[in-house]
Amino acid sequence: MGRLQEEGSSPIHSFRLSTVSASRPTETGMTHEPTGLDLAMKLHYLKVVYIYSAQTARDLTVMHVKWPLFQLFEHIPWIVGRFRRHDSGRLFIKCNDCGTRFVESQCDLTLEEWLRVPDRSVDESLVYHQPVGPGLAYSPLIYIQMTRFKCGGLAFGLSWAHIMGDLFSLSHFFNLWSRTLAGEEIYWPKPSNLQKGCPNPTSTTDKEPGSIKQVDPVGDLWVVSNNRKMTTYSFNVKVNDIKSQLPANRNEFEILTGIIWKCIAKARGKSEPVAITIIRPDPNGLKHRAVRNTQMISSVHVDFSVVHANLDDILKAMVEATDETFLINELGERDEDFIVYGAKLTFVDMSEVDFYEAKVRETSPRSVYCNVQGIGDNGAVVVYPAAKKDERVVMVTLPEDEMEKVKGELEKCGLVKELSNGE
Amino acid sequence: MSQAPMPDFSSSVKLKYVKLGYQYLVNHFLSLLLIPVMAIIAVELLRMGPQEILNVWNSLHFDLVQVLCSSFFVIFISTVYFMSKPRTVYLVDYSCYKPPVMCRVPFSTFMEHSRLILKDSPKSVEFQMRILERSGLGEETCLPPAIHYIPPTPTMDEARSEAQMVIFTAMDDLFKKTGLMPKDVDILIVNCSLFSPTPSLSAMVINKYKLRSNIKSFNLSGMGCSAGLISVDLARDLLQVHPNSNAVIVSTEIITPNYYKGNERAMLLPNCLFRMGSAAILMSNRRSDRWRAKYKLCHLVRTHRGADDKSYYCVYEQEDKEGKIGINLSKDLMAIAGEALKANITTMGPLVLPASEQLLFLFSLIGRKIFNLKWKPYIPDFKLAFEHFCIHAGGRAVIDELQKNLQLSGEHVEASRMTLHRFGNTSSSSLWYELCYIESKGRMRRGDRVWQIAFGSGFKCNSAVWKCNRTIKTPKDGPWSDCIDRYPVFIPEVVKL
Repeated sequence: MGRLQEEGSSPIHSFRLSTVSASRPTETGMTHEPTGLDLAMKLHYLKVVYIYSAQTARDLTVMHVKWPLFQLFEHIPWIVGRFRRHDSGRLFIKCNDCGTRFVESQCDLTLEEWLRVPDRSVDESLVYHQPVGPGLAYSPLIYIQMTRFKCGGLAFGLSWAHIMGDLFSLSHFFNLWSRTLAGEEIYWPKPSNLQKGCPNPTSTTDKEPGSIKQVDPVGDLWVVSNNRKMTTYSFNVKVNDIKSQLPANRNEFEILTGIIWKCIAKARGKSEPVAITIIRPDPNGLKHRAVRNTQMISSVHVDFSVVHANLDDILKAMVEATDETFLINELGERDEDFIVYGAKLTFVDMSEVDFYEAKVRETSPRSVYCNVQGIGDNGAVVVYPAAKKDERVVMVTLPEDEMEKVKGELEKCGLVKELSNGE
Repeated sequence: MSQAPMPDFSSSVKLKYVKLGYQYLVNHFLSLLLIPVMAIIAVELLRMGPQEILNVWNSLHFDLVQVLCSSFFVIFISTVYFMSKPRTVYLVDYSCYKPPVMCRVPFSTFMEHSRLILKDSPKSVEFQMRILERSGLGEETCLPPAIHYIPPTPTMDEARSEAQMVIFTAMDDLFKKTGLMPKDVDILIVNCSLFSPTPSLSAMVINKYKLRSNIKSFNLSGMGCSAGLISVDLARDLLQVHPNSNAVIVSTEIITPNYYKGNERAMLLPNCLFRMGSAAILMSNRRSDRWRAKYKLCHLVRTHRGADDKSYYCVYEQEDKEGKIGINLSKDLMAIAGEALKANITTMGPLVLPASEQLLFLFSLIGRKIFNLKWKPYIPDFKLAFEHFCIHAGGRAVIDELQKNLQLSGEHVEASRMTLHRFGNTSSSSLWYELCYIESKGRMRRGDRVWQIAFGSGFKCNSAVWKCNRTIKTPKDGPWSDCIDRYPVFIPEVVKL
């Protein structure tokens, strides 16, 4: 990984925990009922880190950061509530203003030293994460870590329970925070104006969805138990480089997916994945931003060997992906324990997410890290925009024992320029 | 304290009218006496006729010396009277601190923190939850930033920073409202019971606002929740001695250093009830302030029950078995408060009660003591003496007890209950939040009398009586401005958490 890990003791220390709630009391008795899709996502957590330069963030104090959060939570009270169960056992959120955990920390390195490492998976240590449970009534759904670097730079690490909303919601929430910080008045639409995030049945098949897998009951501690230790690796790619792989006018995410699928298939050899899951945002969800799960989950299945296949064939198969969101929503209603990310090799398309709109003093974050916690054994790849407009960050999470082989394959196909050892 | 001595017809309408008639007769006795006297003189004058009146007038010899002597005598007596009359002390204006929303502590957050901090004592957590459910506090009370951490970080720096935040904000607001220049402050009194750094909080204020070097400053610490009225008493006494002066009083309680970190139940109570707050008050004896002052101080009665051991030990700061410092509240607190109140109103009563009530009390006293009749002590009706009551919002039990003892209606104690709900127990400044509530509701009219009652460790009961100088318009800003429309709220006996 990097010299940071080799040092032994983490450069991040002096943790102070407090709680941030809503600015006005929520009506007594208000509750929020999660949809089936929400419940299907409960074992997953989203982790996003926004890093701001010293010039931008030097003067931001803890109080400056907390104040907009208080304003926002007044309008989104369920994300600061706590889970309870109805008598029937069904989960719901009691909007009791309990709040989110806010963690302050210090880092001994300057921002330059921290960002020197091209593999951004080190940013994991900037996110304070605890799973929901075992005491559901006392588990915050969001953790926000504010790390101050030696030079004055700031990092905000958000750990967000996927049951509340998808990555689009998270980035929408943080964008609202930055706008409130800048003094903007936010318009809050009445709840009836929002579409209820119920996905429409697009396919008529009765098959069990391939993109979701039931796991052993986890009770009230929402943690995915992996059989193999997972590790993360990230690299940047230029959009033009990807597009040059294929002459046809294709979406760069799809091309990337095809290439990486092939690499992983080559690395896995006999047990090559013949099915993948693709998660991308719902185009309608982009118009009415809110905090909820609106992602589209589709499954791609091929009956040929990916290792020997043509990239074109793979891409054609991806076009015929079956949208399983509705089925997952139905399954989720059963309130059993499932995983979606990593049930099959999962590719998450976040290329359209506007992370860099979260501007502080009109300056975008210098770097953004984005990943999912609680990925199953088949691994996941998250693609999202980098700070430079024509680049994408690819965040790969796979079992530790196959990561080196996959890295080798990625280097062979030219995606990764050169593997640096240690540094 | 107990019921009226009269046979219990009090629900009867007839007795009500009898009582009203009696009160009117006794309270306006002198004026009523004047009517027959004037009638007799008028009849006499008419009988005498104009000629006889002139004769009487002429027969009075007015010597120049006699006239001069009489005039000088009259002037001399008037001068002595006016010189020896105590200076009227006015309350020009006051300002209460409104904590920022980031300091808000909802019940659920408080309980979650409690569970994390006291994870080894689930019984103590359970106890805190039961206290909170029945406390009468609302979901908007505020704690200082240092107490929001898990675990709290009550360092001296944080305590000073809380002091600066609450005191300076209230004072800035007071200066703005009254147009007072910092260099014009003659007397400064700061009272904060549990935080007493060196240099003192009053020195901190003088440093911040660059007050004059010959200012008379006082810092009262350790005097409990009734210290606010003790400061008013001190200011009044000083303003008798110094003519043409003003006094700024700052009443606050700094919560940060006093968070109890142990798990002894009797000492966990203050953690649940005490909240952030402060008030800054401007008092003056200048004639020029007479027109713009809000209130006039009529009486201030202080009662100290410290001579009695039980009273002295009932609110006691001590170390628990593990050496952690906290404030131990005894189980007899309510009874002791009742006794202290009784002692206080024994002195207060004759000063404020109308003659009718005093007579009734006297008759009841004579009956019980001299004739040994088995009457219960008569509780005078203080509602006849005051329009508004500000009872220290020490806790729900205190307000309930006083409401019962003084036979007050729900509306009389509304200011106290609502202040407890919105701001919690802010110690010495709670009386000012309650006064502000009454003003914000538009109920304060010229001539209205207000009774502020404060209890404090020692055990002390202090009362102040104010008379409203001018009808007060509903303030546009202030701690209640954004929420007064939601009040009064119904506070259930037990809030289900």
